[in-house]
Amino acid sequence: MATTTATISLASPDLLTNSLAFSTASTLTQAGNSTGLVTTTGLARTNFTVGGTSPFASKVIYRANDATSNGANKVYLKNLSTTASEYFTIFIDQEEMGRLYAGDWAFFPWSAVDGTEETFTVTVGGTVAAGDSWDFDGITTTSADANLNNFAAAIHAQNFPNWTTSISAPAVTFTARKAYAAGVVTSSTAITGDTITDLSGSDLTMGITSGVVGTRSEADIIVVPSVATTMDLEHMLLYQ
Amino acid sequence: MATTTNTLLLESTDLFDDSLSISNTSTCYKAGTTTGLDQTTGLTRLYATSVTQFDPFPAVKDATNRVKNGKVYIANLSEDETEFITVSIGDAVIGKLYAGDFLWMPYSPKASLSSDIEITPSVATGMFIEFMAIHDFANIYPDSIDTRVYPDA
Repeated sequence: MATTTATISLASPDLLTNSLAFSTASTLTQAGNSTGLVTTTGLARTNFTVGGTSPFASKVIYRANDATSNGANKVYLKNLSTTASEYFTIFIDQEEMGRLYAGDWAFFPWSAVDGTEETFTVTVGGTVAAGDSWDFDGITTTSADANLNNFAAAIHAQNFPNWTTSISAPAVTFTARKAYAAGVVTSSTAITGDTITDLSGSDLTMGITSGVVGTRSEADIIVVPSVATTMDLEHMLLYQ
Repeated sequence: MATTTNTLLLESTDLFDDSLSISNTSTCYKAGTTTGLDQTTGLTRLYATSVTQFDPFPAVKDATNRVKNGKVYIANLSEDETEFITVSIGDAVIGKLYAGDFLWMPYSPKASLSSDIEITPSVATGMFIEFMAIHDFANIYPDSIDTRVYPDA
């Protein structure tokens, strides 16, 4: 178990008529217990040179998929600019938290409540012949023989850019890598974007036996720079 | 002009193979300037005995505050590791502060009621919560009830 501590100190000799000084220290633990957070994205530095005109393009710094929903996740952000007028606007989904001006930092919890990943199950059916193929997500899988289970295994062995797979041959279940309405699953029995090539007339079918439409996350952390020229953001996520 | 500094130390000897030590100190400035923030709500210590959501800071009613550079500090002083407060802003949940946790974040309120910061305790058995805002907002307190005009008056 890792032990990570965060300490904040606030001090001012003249904000009030008496001096202000206090400090709070916290050991970063998982939700509801005393086990330390052990996973992190590491300390990152991201350059924003977005070009164009205001409003400038945003970047998603952390997706809710990156952390456990309702976990005791912590986000650290720092604007590395040294120009006083430059700031990053910080959003959680569509809600603006505030502006992080030059040199400012923020440290806050993050519930990371995720949306739903689209998922569907495709079952290899009919008969398959060597040379038959199925194209989905830009990946073409070609059957090496006439075995349905082998073809399902070949599909499962692919690395799809937007989907992960699991197999219970001859069925392969696809799950989107991130939560959003991908538009691929249109009902529990239909998807869009796949193509069967049945070279030898072997009656290959790729039936959809179940599917769930995805929903977008409403907790992604999004950052927008105030200028189109270069700005750097330092950031780190500690998560469950 | 007031000078208020805030420092974060983030340290671990075993989160990585090498030790982690981040230290940041910044000064609370008005937006886009090097003039210090000169207002504060004061440091409040509250004993919450309800799970009802509440606003720790006055509802900000002047939309010009959205370009300001306010700062917010909130801490859960509970010592029971299962107790937490949920911190929200507008329609979004930011996260949960468990026992001993704190947050420090910028706050540029858009308008009354649409971007208020809210706290929801997880238990009604009593939790100490600490919070403070440092800012240069305009018109953050509600009008006196004596000045309001009611339709049936």
